[in-house]
Amino acid sequence: MIALRPPAVLLVMRRSRRGDEGDASDEALLSGMAVGDERAGLIFVRRYQHRVFGMAVSIVGDTALAEDVAQEALIRIFRHASVFDARRGSVSTWTLTITRNLAIDALRAQRSSPTDPGAQVFLQLISPDRLPEDAAVTEDAVGRVRTALENLPVDQCRAVLLAAMCGRTAAEIAHTEAIPIGTAKGRIRLGMAKLREALEIEGAQ
Amino acid sequence: MSGYAEDPRRCEMVQDELAELALGILSGRNRSEVLSHVESCSLCGAELERLSVVADALLQLAPEVQPPLGFELRVAERLQADRIQPEATTSPRQFGRVAFFATAAAIIAVLGFGLGAAITPGGGNSQGQSAAANLTTAKLTSHGHVLGDVMISAGSPAWMFMTVDDGSWPGTVTCAVTYAGGRVQTVGVFRLSSGYGAWGAPLSSSAGQVRSARLVASNGTVLASAQLSA
Repeated sequence: MIALRPPAVLLVMRRSRRGDEGDASDEALLSGMAVGDERAGLIFVRRYQHRVFGMAVSIVGDTALAEDVAQEALIRIFRHASVFDARRGSVSTWTLTITRNLAIDALRAQRSSPTDPGAQVFLQLISPDRLPEDAAVTEDAVGRVRTALENLPVDQCRAVLLAAMCGRTAAEIAHTEAIPIGTAKGRIRLGMAKLREALEIEGAQ
Repeated sequence: MSGYAEDPRRCEMVQDELAELALGILSGRNRSEVLSHVESCSLCGAELERLSVVADALLQLAPEVQPPLGFELRVAERLQADRIQPEATTSPRQFGRVAFFATAAAIIAVLGFGLGAAITPGGGNSQGQSAAANLTTAKLTSHGHVLGDVMISAGSPAWMFMTVDDGSWPGTVTCAVTYAGGRVQTVGVFRLSSGYGAWGAPLSSSAGQVRSARLVASNGTVLASAQLSA
């Protein structure tokens, strides 16, 4: 049902999407979800829905399709919570990777070939208004990679973002950018190397 | 794992593809070849780890966007359906109601009311209190027909949750509660979808003061009501 004005309960959900639902860590919530704890699942959904939907809608560009993708991503995370391995990465990375892959699949199912979004679309993926709580966790790496991206040549920035956010292969980037595949691979490699360097240099300071 | 691979030229050959592997865009034979090399070369393995940190940081740049209204409830419905699908004895609308009350229970718990009671929509008497004595439930009825559920949780503030899952009224309804002494509070104005709806809102008085709740049509007709105390 759609309320004419947002029910107060939803406002509470938004306010409390960090922290007060729990000081439960993401890993603890996944552990609960792995044994079928629905409440842990709901808290996880509340905590991640904005990021998951944001990732989905950024890739597919359509609100209805993005909702399908975001729902499916959260359901899959619930179903497969037991296989999450913290040694292989953070919960947020795992969650966003699943979302990204589903969004790419959904987009490919709709279109016979990848479209060529403008660089501006992907540059806009750089979110300027992350929550303070996120900043506390990821400020270092994310803030530095954002700054480093801004300093990359535009063609490298495009290639890296198309690969990272849209899962485009070097061959697909070569096709959409009308460049040789070697050039596409070089842009990805150089862009990633510069980002890595920027992270390491600033991290050492 | 040794330092360099047996053939250092392989390191040069996979350099281009380490970034693609970290980004998850390498597939097929290339992927297995690079992975095989990385297994035997600590330097390339370390480089892959550093590039993976970059790839992870890139994913975190995705913007946060408010999902459409009701998204959380719809996911909750699917989670619930996913869990009880093997039995498959509950109607889709009941899934929604179960999910809504599950969500409400989570919210109550989040708000720190410390309820230990299981919330079982559709069960029990037409009016009752949970074992924890902090939760009052009642049936929303019209001419003797049960059309939904009302749940009042004690706390500061008290909250009311309502589901309508068998209404035949389309469009907008007003939800109001009457307190002891006759004071009426309009909880909110909501839109029903094919006779179905669910919402929650805080109350301005304590749960013990609530005497009844009712749904009112835009023309002032009382569509259904629930008695919450004798």
